Amino acid sequence: MRHTFVLAALLAALLQPGSLHAQAAAAPAAEPANAQVYFIWPHDGSVIEGGKFWVRMGLRNMGIAPKGTAVPNTGHHHLLIDTGLPSMTEPIPNDRNHLHFGAGETEARVELPPGTHTLQLLLGDKDHVPHKPPVVSKKITVTVR
Amino acid sequence: MRSLFAILALGAALGAAVTGGATEAPPNAYCYIGWPSDGAVLPAGKPFRVWFGLRNMGVAPKGVAFEHTGHHHLLIDTDLPPAGQVIPSDRNHLHYGAGETETMLELPPGKHTLQLLMGDDKHIPHTPPVASKRITITIR
Repeated sequence: MRHTFVLAALLAALLQPGSLHAQAAAAPAAEPANAQVYFIWPHDGSVIEGGKFWVRMGLRNMGIAPKGTAVPNTGHHHLLIDTGLPSMTEPIPNDRNHLHFGAGETEARVELPPGTHTLQLLLGDKDHVPHKPPVVSKKITVTVR
Repeated sequence: MRSLFAILALGAALGAAVTGGATEAPPNAYCYIGWPSDGAVLPAGKPFRVWFGLRNMGVAPKGVAFEHTGHHHLLIDTDLPPAGQVIPSDRNHLHYGAGETETMLELPPGKHTLQLLMGDDKHIPHTPPVASKRITITIR
């Protein structure tokens, strides 16, 4: 019994450097362990009169780089409006529910119709693919009236 | 006639040096300090976050030449450096060449000024320079 345990531990130790190496070489960019994307504005539960507002996109422990730019520990913002998270292994769709900020923008002027809307930020790498693991904000809800 | 031309060329070169670097700023580019607010009083001995605000322009790391982008520089207790030249890198001129859009800062007690200045891929301010308002904060 004890023998098996030691063997398992040894196996894990042997496998670990290999698996780490594989991860670093994998296609989607790895993200720094403490990276965090979040909304500076609006806050969760905000009520917005008129429906036009600036979204201020916050990022900690990581940098912004435009699309196509391969610099370690960077990515660019995507704003998901009224939709769930897309595939984490493919390029983020580009449509009215998935806004791309491939020019390195950190703020966006958004206009939404009256009602309740969800907003979520998702960072994409140089190829618009989410990082591994993904750098994604909390999904917030705003009300336009 | 030829010397007149030379003088004109020299004047044009000097003019370019005075107005800024080779990289043009996007029209309506607006840089500001989102936090702290001008006049803020903050507790001593406690690091605070500085938010880099930027509108109508994007962020790109140093060395990346992408249209209508630049990277942030935070000027602490100093005036704007000369236009058209590389922004100094010292304790009064902090560079954010990795594309950072915020930072943590700790300053000694007293009054301090903060100002943001965008630099292009070579750390040279744009033409015209994209700089925030200079704000004053008090640490105590």
